Amino acid sequence: MTTVAAVGTYLPPWGSARGRVLGPDEDAVTLAVAAARAALEQATPAGSATAPDVRRVVFVTRELPLLVGGNAAALLAGIGLPDDVPVVEQVGGGPAVFDSLGGAEAGTLVIGVDAGESGPVGAAAALLADGAGVGVEPVGRIVRSLPVHSRENGGGARDYSDARLERERGVGVAIERLELTDKPVVVAGLPAKQARALCAGVPPTLPTTGASAALFAVAALAEVGAGGLVLAVEQGSATALRVDGVPAVRRDSPALLAPEKLTRTPGPDIAISLAAYERAFDAKLRWDAGRCDACGTLALPPRRRCLNCGSEDGWTLTPLPRTGEVYTVVTVHVPVPGLPTPYSLAIVQLDDVDVRALVKVTGAPAGTVQIGDRGRLVLRRVAVRSGIPDYGYALYPDAAEYPDAATAADAGEGAVR
Amino acid sequence: MRRVAVVGAGMTAFGEHFGLGIKELLPMAVSEMAAHVDKGLDRADIQAAWFGELTTSDGFPTGILADTCGLLDIPVTRVENACATGNDAVRNATFAVASGAFDVVLVVGADKVRESSARSTFWEWAGLTRDMAWDYPLGLVAPANFALHVARYLHESPATKEHLAMVAVKNHKHAVPNPKAQLRYEITVEQALNAPVVVAPFNLYDCTPQSDGAAALLLVSEDVVERYTDRPVWVRGVGLGLDRVMHQHKKDMTTFPPTVKASKAAYAMAGLGPEDIDVAEVHDCFTGVELISYEDLGFAEKFGAYKLIENGVTNVGGAKPVNPSGGLKAKGHPPGATGVAQCVELFEQLRGEAANQVDGARTALAHNIGGPTAVSAVTILSSQRG
Repeated sequence: MTTVAAVGTYLPPWGSARGRVLGPDEDAVTLAVAAARAALEQATPAGSATAPDVRRVVFVTRELPLLVGGNAAALLAGIGLPDDVPVVEQVGGGPAVFDSLGGAEAGTLVIGVDAGESGPVGAAAALLADGAGVGVEPVGRIVRSLPVHSRENGGGARDYSDARLERERGVGVAIERLELTDKPVVVAGLPAKQARALCAGVPPTLPTTGASAALFAVAALAEVGAGGLVLAVEQGSATALRVDGVPAVRRDSPALLAPEKLTRTPGPDIAISLAAYERAFDAKLRWDAGRCDACGTLALPPRRRCLNCGSEDGWTLTPLPRTGEVYTVVTVHVPVPGLPTPYSLAIVQLDDVDVRALVKVTGAPAGTVQIGDRGRLVLRRVAVRSGIPDYGYALYPDAAEYPDAATAADAGEGAVR
Repeated sequence: MRRVAVVGAGMTAFGEHFGLGIKELLPMAVSEMAAHVDKGLDRADIQAAWFGELTTSDGFPTGILADTCGLLDIPVTRVENACATGNDAVRNATFAVASGAFDVVLVVGADKVRESSARSTFWEWAGLTRDMAWDYPLGLVAPANFALHVARYLHESPATKEHLAMVAVKNHKHAVPNPKAQLRYEITVEQALNAPVVVAPFNLYDCTPQSDGAAALLLVSEDVVERYTDRPVWVRGVGLGLDRVMHQHKKDMTTFPPTVKASKAAYAMAGLGPEDIDVAEVHDCFTGVELISYEDLGFAEKFGAYKLIENGVTNVGGAKPVNPSGGLKAKGHPPGATGVAQCVELFEQLRGEAANQVDGARTALAHNIGGPTAVSAVTILSSQRG
């Protein structure tokens, strides 16, 4: 039987009582990377340098950043997987995630992401293994159509606005048709109150309702303290899974912050050179330096002539540390066409190596980071240039108390109510 | 090498010249220069020209200079070296005359910044000096480049934001009598400290305005100087220095090594030192840059720049006046023109004809830094032949 080796989850810090929202530098790919990295870290035995074997990635979301142009390479690079791992980019919600999870082969990394503009957003990932972990078994599936909420390709979202129709003829009928033998312990895809009514016991409140909610539901078994029947529903459809126990979970869920008031200045597209993009891609998205083959000096970005010994004989990509300390930092307040302002830029001295990086600050209100502060480097969407998401790394400062965050924090954990 | 003298200088006013294109500004500056040559200039005597311009608004730069200034029969070379362009154009022309290749050459610097919409200018100009893949998309806007240095400088040195404000107050005051300056009004320290933030730690008054303008100099060899004037200003030293381009590769961001290298070269060529400088035009695109440059140019000890501004040493009337023209801060900053215009100001200072005259000035220094902080050019001028 296939087992879930680990579940990783990610929530952006920004949000309110209604749920988390995207930061200005986040999209479905950066969310997916954060959740996947949490899952893989959890699945890596303590003290082991070897990452778990991932042979296939299934990326389920309704907010793929690019429909043409591809998200897979950025996803693999950000997670740190080799570039020969197949990636399925699937448009879908919670039931689709469970369809992928139930019966998938060991080595499959299933990622569900909600990254809609209006939120709530979040991402969760589950790594399937052979043996270690908790067993997952498909129980049943029903695929029906009741498009109370819809979104055309390239168009806006529409809402039929009939909650009772959705409840009775959508979810209600779907669950009836599944002919379940026992009550679920967690249900993904429904408002908390409605989910509670269907469950045995009081289920944990999930932070999202879409694709990621299905895996947040699996992670929630850790709070329930036992396995059981887990259900993912979406309008007229539903998929049920049985999980035989409590999976190992790692959560990347920073404390809630009120979204910043950002100024968006219209202006010309920020130009992109795809030649430069392609040359920089691996180092920039995998957070690798060029290590001089002659003397070992690291250079970010990699460069032909070594910064230290002047050798031009070649270099090899080498992973960089993902933590460091701020050497200098400034905050841009003046309106910048194409980039939301304000934002902070920092030069970060990376730990244990003679490398500094110039990066944007993420996950903290602009202007709150000081020289000497510490943080970690995470993949973010640095800009959108001529319609192309430009990914790179940003400094996520270590948890700090922000005076303006008090009101948002009152809302608790960003639960969907 | 032969000695080289400046015998004529002129410039347009700096400002937002929406009504004037590059094709107007260039002949205006060259004609003003020609009109100020003491014994007159026959334009046919000009044997070659060096034109410093960062960007081009109406076509290819050297052709436009030759075409609009009636110089179709001489070679014209464009110099582009980021914000050090102006003084580097002076440097190149100086060597051409010193070598014996030419006796009479023209140096022109110009830029037309306010030619595209303010929003397009933003990314167009940023593209000149950023790594396309690594730095450009971060929104490393012009003030941010220098702010990264100044933030660290304020962290390590005793200088504070009040000292930055004092630089702005001084240079605004200096610009008031200068008819060519863009911002001819005084401000107070309080105004500067309470102004809107542009890129922290810089407020509005810490930043140079965006400017259009052109400036021109006539350089001649010692062999022909008497044909043009009895009061030449000698080019005593020129220097250029570079550094790593990306900020993440600069080890110590509290200093600008290009300035140290450029000034060292210029001082050595002149046989002079920082103590010999009576007046200087220093690249104050942002107030903190003037402070750091005091140290890099040898006017102050490391982290001692704040004392100069606090004690009025660099005011006109102080022991080491800096930016009597108002500097980039208040005179304006059309990048290609800036260094040449600094030499226009110092030419007038050394002849006792400046609008904001430093009494008894005999030796002067002009300084640019740019790229954003990876290149510097320094020129040392003197009324003394040396």
